[in-house]
Amino acid sequence: MFEAAETEPRPADPGPARDRAKSVIRTEGLSMIFGAVRALDRLDIDIAEGEFVSIMGPSGSGKTTLLNILSCLDTPSEGVYRLDGVDVSGMSEQQRAMIRREKIGLVFQQFHLIPYLTALENVMLAQHYHSVADAGEAREHLGNVGLADRADHLPSQLSGGEKQRVCIARALVNEPAIILADEPTGNLDEENEKVVVELLQRLHGEGRTIALVTHNPEMGALAGRTIYLRHGRLDRQVIR
Amino acid sequence: MAVRSGVVAGFRWLMLRKALSRRKARAAVAIASIMVGAAVVSALAALYFDISIKMSQELRAYGANFFVGADPASPDRRFPAARYDAILAEIPADRLTGASPFLYGVVSLGIGNAVLAGVDFEGMRRIYPYWRVEGGWISVAFDDRNAMIGKQLAEKLELQLGATIEVYAPETGEKAELRIKGIIESGGPEDEQMFVSMDLARRLFAVPERIDLAMLSVVAEGDEAARLAETINSAHPEADAKPIRKISQSDGQILDKIEGFMALVAFVILVITTLCVNAIMSAIVVERTPEIGLQKALGADDREIMTQFLSETALICAIGLALGLALGFALAQVLGQTVFGAWVNLRPLVIPLTAFASLAAALIAAIIPIRSAVRIVPARVLKGE
Repeated sequence: MFEAAETEPRPADPGPARDRAKSVIRTEGLSMIFGAVRALDRLDIDIAEGEFVSIMGPSGSGKTTLLNILSCLDTPSEGVYRLDGVDVSGMSEQQRAMIRREKIGLVFQQFHLIPYLTALENVMLAQHYHSVADAGEAREHLGNVGLADRADHLPSQLSGGEKQRVCIARALVNEPAIILADEPTGNLDEENEKVVVELLQRLHGEGRTIALVTHNPEMGALAGRTIYLRHGRLDRQVIR
Repeated sequence: MAVRSGVVAGFRWLMLRKALSRRKARAAVAIASIMVGAAVVSALAALYFDISIKMSQELRAYGANFFVGADPASPDRRFPAARYDAILAEIPADRLTGASPFLYGVVSLGIGNAVLAGVDFEGMRRIYPYWRVEGGWISVAFDDRNAMIGKQLAEKLELQLGATIEVYAPETGEKAELRIKGIIESGGPEDEQMFVSMDLARRLFAVPERIDLAMLSVVAEGDEAARLAETINSAHPEADAKPIRKISQSDGQILDKIEGFMALVAFVILVITTLCVNAIMSAIVVERTPEIGLQKALGADDREIMTQFLSETALICAIGLALGLALGFALAQVLGQTVFGAWVNLRPLVIPLTAFASLAAALIAAIIPIRSAVRIVPARVLKGE
């Protein structure tokens, strides 16, 4: 375990241990303006390949807004967002949809499973938009999150923890380079939270890049680096 | 490539089936809307294609619409009775509602003169079914003892049913004693005439093989009556055939109005169908907003979302159309029996026409909901905004 080292806010600072790694996510002067509110204010961050970064901050600090931009669900009002070195901030919805299905796996606090599809079909949905639905592969991913025997159940027949594991299996089924998770344990009890934490750690161990938005300091501390936001700006970061 | 397309289509079908199954009530209402629209359109289209002939048959109850006279160059302004028979033989039996030759002359009835016409009573009865007849029609073609008389003439002569009257033809000196079998009220000049069998008229006027004119009631669509006249005139130069324009044009105008009315009803029903389907599809899109947001977040592009909703619309339309065509055929029969007393044929053109109209209504209805679905911003709906 790294020793925590608090640093002053400096732009694009992934820490010395990650200097040699390829930058996967990089923002330069990123701003998001809603009317008179600057949800993000000239934010510069850099996340390296294989890095596990948590994003923390009080409510309204811009965490979810940042995650929406990083996941290409939204476009910034100002600034540049480079994903794998490519500026995606000015891309069309069509191009961003392609990036979402090709490069990004999303995990939501609210799970967002389609209620009339089984767990297996919910995972296959991500495959369908990516390339082609493959029940065998989808079942294998459900097995990886311990849900092989729940594959044919509807979301209404699953517990909160199981739903979140389906959500994680869906995020992983297309082997995305980046996993972006927004409060993935926010709706879970302690036991299920532990299962999800272990899954995220395992994914990091496999070399995946993970950005995790959380309120939970214990969850945040799992990451090698925590970025703290305040009023849409980089407040500080902790490298472990 | 083909296998991939098959799997993609298979998964789309699975989504479509399950999405609609989850919203059975809404889907059923949308299907019912399309069904009603398709039923009305197909029933009216079936009637539309059949109505010209059916209405034309129906309108034949309002008198003769075709006249055959002698060539104006003819010395006695008459033409041979044999020509009349030949002309009738050239008209298809299913198009000829009725026909009668007329041979006119003036007779003396004691207190004055009157026009007497020799006719074919069976034909007259078919041409003028709306005439009010007190007593009865003369049923035997060679009846030379009975006559029918116009109401005004009967009143003038103070003749009652069953009365006997002597008719005298001053030109030939021929006489006949006739019993009044029927008193006619036509509302026209016939009310001042007397009618006898053609055989008797020929004897009275000593005109054995010629007639003055013939009146025909012919079932004709569009300009068929005019074409028939041309055909007859070219084949029989001594005859002068022409449609009675007043009647033919009235037929055409009534048909045009009825067809226009039917088109208007079909259009209004289609508009209502479109509004119903639009309301239902809009409600479905609102209900599925989080789901659409998720699909977009997972990488579904606008085309995929459009394909999904167009497929749902097409499936709803196909089911509604199939049910609507069956219902429409039944409805057409009910209308046909009620209005025309006849079965309506389902012409093949009705099916593509109804399919096109229903699909157009469904697609127009789906435009706004699909646009709403495509415009959903996943970042907002997934946050619960």
